[in-house]
Amino acid sequence: MIAIYKRDLKGFFTGMMGYVLLAFFLAVGGLYFTVMNLMSGYPDLSYTLYNNLFVLLVLVPLLTMRSFAEERRARTDQLLLTSPVPLWRIVLGKYLAVLSVFGMAVLVFALYPLIMSRGGAVSYRQSYAALLAFFLLGAACIAIGVFLSSLNENQIVAAACSFFVLLLAYLMPSIQTLFTVGSALAMGVFLVLAVLGAAYAGWHSRSWGLGLGVFTVCCAAILVLFWLRSAALTSAFSSLLGALCLFSPFEKFVSGLFSLSAVVYYLSVTALFLFFTCQTLEKRRWN
Amino acid sequence: MIEVQHLTKRYGSHLAVDDLSFFVQKGVIYGLLGPNGAGKSTTMNILTGYISATGGTVTIDGHDVLEEPGEARACIGYLPEQPPLYPDMTVEEYLRFAAELKGVRRAERTSQVEKAMARTGLESVGRRLIRNLSKGYKQRVGLAGALMGSPKVIILDEPTVGLDPAQMIEIRALIRDLGRTHTVILSSHILSEVQAVCDQVLIIAHGRLVAMGTPNELAGRLEGHQTLTATARGEAACVLAAAAGVEGLTDVTLTGEKDGEVSFTANAPAGSDLRGALSAALAAAGCPVLALGTAAVSLEDVFLQLVEESAPEAAAKQAAPEPPAEAPEDSARPEPEDRSSEEENAE
Repeated sequence: MIAIYKRDLKGFFTGMMGYVLLAFFLAVGGLYFTVMNLMSGYPDLSYTLYNNLFVLLVLVPLLTMRSFAEERRARTDQLLLTSPVPLWRIVLGKYLAVLSVFGMAVLVFALYPLIMSRGGAVSYRQSYAALLAFFLLGAACIAIGVFLSSLNENQIVAAACSFFVLLLAYLMPSIQTLFTVGSALAMGVFLVLAVLGAAYAGWHSRSWGLGLGVFTVCCAAILVLFWLRSAALTSAFSSLLGALCLFSPFEKFVSGLFSLSAVVYYLSVTALFLFFTCQTLEKRRWN
Repeated sequence: MIEVQHLTKRYGSHLAVDDLSFFVQKGVIYGLLGPNGAGKSTTMNILTGYISATGGTVTIDGHDVLEEPGEARACIGYLPEQPPLYPDMTVEEYLRFAAELKGVRRAERTSQVEKAMARTGLESVGRRLIRNLSKGYKQRVGLAGALMGSPKVIILDEPTVGLDPAQMIEIRALIRDLGRTHTVILSSHILSEVQAVCDQVLIIAHGRLVAMGTPNELAGRLEGHQTLTATARGEAACVLAAAAGVEGLTDVTLTGEKDGEVSFTANAPAGSDLRGALSAALAAAGCPVLALGTAAVSLEDVFLQLVEESAPEAAAKQAAPEPPAEAPEDSARPEPEDRSSEEENAE
């Protein structure tokens, strides 16, 4: 795992990629920091970071696109997958390498409150809590990017997929307000999800019985909910969309709160997508 | 060392490996021989754990590749058809990386890398980027990478493909050298290579093992007889009569007569050597022998014959509508959206 981590991290800095991305990220971050904190004298880093979130939409896809897609294209995955290293350690090694590049930028951001303190009182606690949340949000985005890279053989396609998925997550709060759904539409959406889930279960286990079973159970649950408490479906739909708003839990940190649920949310998203990555690679063995 | 039992690999409806079973002994160089698309790479990818089989078991040094993947893979050094090289690394960096992946201890890494580089003749390019190396050197880097961690078995998929003749000879010499210390399995569709390098040959066609043995055994298996060719001085009738008089020789056929030199061929039973007897008989008849030899049946003949023999049967089997009995219940059901990519992956 350490070998893969070191190789990937070095890989970023043998070409231009790592330097260019870091420079871009630090330039944008530095610009906001200068304008908001130094020139306008705002004593809190969280608002600056909040304005920086959109940079992740561009940065993360470019950081993660190579990860597995390039290995697969160059067939170097044969070296990794035939080595005695377990699959989850391969994924973790590659993930941590990307995360470290991102972490370098976050470390530079960590200096900003210290610079600000020369100009007056700074709420360190709030600033560093926001920075931690920013790092965790980036970690979750990177996990999504690594997962999408493992699905693709072409890094450009991988980058495009990551960008659109992150963009969708970024815009999800506005999308959520666009849909004022009735319970019938919500039921329809959940039925479609049930079909997809059942198809996946059936396909993955290679058994029609299990797929049909999952579908029947889901349908029964949805229909019962629809007859008994149709409002529950509507709110479930809304919270389903809410769960896809990757960027909004960060807002709590901007208002000065430390939100444990946001931390747990980001860690879960990270773990979930790394697990999906392992599953994708494992599945490929069996094809 | 390696035990393969009833190995089956199915890509959608295409059967890449069909009920393959064989046993690999320690310290022997094995050659997997077969035409393109016979299932050689698929078999090797399954042995190394890169892909999983649809059915059957593979045990490597007592470790099942599915149940103890780490231990099984630690026994194997693999050089795929396209060496898995990172172009942005130097040769030394790459080999260190490969050693670390294989779990070589930090203290031993340097010595192992140096040893492998010396063995594959890479000392002079250690600090060069892999990107800038020639194809032959890249192949050697891949081979050196496969040697990391001193695996008991080395698996080489078409190790000489794309090399010039001089490089081919070098790589073959290297493989022979490796065979002294490791068990080697290599695949090839080049007969002369397998004949020159391997102790044991497995001929694979249409995903099935059609023959196994030493190159000589396989040649002997082909036909019930070998052919003698001879030239003697004298009268044609006299020469032929003397030849026909030798016990065991049949089908004595005149092939040419010129300036009192008579050429003929004759068939002898397989495994016998009647050259001495024929020479003595001709001398006794007063016809001095000018040339005498056996036309050895080449592996190529065996190969073509075996491949042709197995073809119609395999084709019929593939066309059969119902899946073979050993396939698990539902696995035969093809996934429409996946099939195109699966067939690309198949050799």
